[in-house]
Amino acid sequence: MPIIRCRNLHYRYPEGDSPLFENLQFEIRSRGFHAIFGHSGTGKTTLARMIAGELNGFEGNLVIEGAKTVFYTHNMERLPGWADVGELLRTVTPTAARNDLDRLIETFGLQACLHSRFARLSLGQKNRVNLTRYLVQPFDILIMDESLANVDETTRSIILTEIKSIYPDRCFLYISHNMIEVSRYCREIVVIRSPQKQPQAVCLTGMDAMSTDVVGPSTALEQVLLEIAHAT
Amino acid sequence: MLRNRMVQFLLLYVLALAGLLGLKYGLGLSDYIIPPFLEICRTGLDVTPRYVAHVLNTLSIAILGHAISLLLAFAIGMLAAGKSAIAALVKTAAYNVQSYPIVAVAPIIFILLGDGLLSRLIISVMICYFPLLLTVMGVLSEPVEDIEHFYRMTGHICWGLQVRVRMFENIGKLTTVAVGSATMAMVGTIVSEFIASNAGIGYSIRVALYQSDMAKIITALLWIGVATSLYLILVEWIGNLIHRRVAA
Repeated sequence: MPIIRCRNLHYRYPEGDSPLFENLQFEIRSRGFHAIFGHSGTGKTTLARMIAGELNGFEGNLVIEGAKTVFYTHNMERLPGWADVGELLRTVTPTAARNDLDRLIETFGLQACLHSRFARLSLGQKNRVNLTRYLVQPFDILIMDESLANVDETTRSIILTEIKSIYPDRCFLYISHNMIEVSRYCREIVVIRSPQKQPQAVCLTGMDAMSTDVVGPSTALEQVLLEIAHAT
Repeated sequence: MLRNRMVQFLLLYVLALAGLLGLKYGLGLSDYIIPPFLEICRTGLDVTPRYVAHVLNTLSIAILGHAISLLLAFAIGMLAAGKSAIAALVKTAAYNVQSYPIVAVAPIIFILLGDGLLSRLIISVMICYFPLLLTVMGVLSEPVEDIEHFYRMTGHICWGLQVRVRMFENIGKLTTVAVGSATMAMVGTIVSEFIASNAGIGYSIRVALYQSDMAKIITALLWIGVATSLYLILVEWIGNLIHRRVAA
């Protein structure tokens, strides 16, 4: 049974001239690390907010099966400025996830940020801190909308593989414009296209790599890249 | 800060006085309407000790009224920050009440409470409170989406946290409004004294008005300006202190 099933989804912003989604259909079949991919303006964030229950008013079916808690995080979020990052992270971390927090702080390279105020961090550090506080929450599905923007490529790879290794039973929807990253680390890739193209969503299979090392022949990666490029 | 504000006020005062004297000599107005410069100076020296005491009296009421207004505005503003039925009721009531010129209610207060300290204080608070309340309510009702999103999504949000986030994010705006409302408190107190009090500089101006004594009014305005400037400087200093502490 798919964890996310979208059927005949139609949506137009109240102030919009044309529909954003026209008969959108796709499925995320299992838990794991998946991606929503597409050009800017195709509705990735809108779709993410619909899945997270933040946006309603659409027609059609969007069913989440076997997942009670869906969180959506994006790269523009901020932490309050009245305390340092370490204190704010500890405050929102459930007791059961304290060890995960320590591990994530180490893997994400956040030790140096813990005694600073959020506003003083670099954009990449801000995004890593923000993602960390979501990861230690008890979620079933986490939608990461450009959550690793401004983070260097090596660190991004380490973070993605670490997330996959710590949380193999959770479901992640990764929104990114980095085609190589999406191809390499994601299992199911939902490519959203403009509503003029039907079907509007194309589902592809990524390489689902579990480590930062290059896995398999480079032709496999090229194959996925070509498929995504062709789909968009 | 002290020197700048005082210099600005004195400059304006001198310009206004020069304009008034220019009008007198330009239009050939009598000494009864606008006294000559020397007469203004003589009256000023004569009434200054009394007027300074009156201004201090007015200022003490204004400071008390300002403090009460701030407390009330923040308490009611916090109450109106949520999405409950009470919050909606408070907001609607505040918007409706503030649209009425509150100074028009002043005679009723004087009839009910007499022309003592309490009436002056109440009118001062009322004039200062409503504009302050609207700003505080506006600030505390506006979500800081990029911070609150996480707490709302993960179920950590509560009324206290929401208020804290919004106050912290708008501390500059709130301190500016608090500083700005100090003038309103002074205006409210003078208006109340002008209407029906038996003390304060507003009352002195009313007496001078009945005597058609322009020199006394000009002197009163000088000390009102000096006192208001000093109070604004003090409030600004406190505001900056809070701002710096919060932002540190």
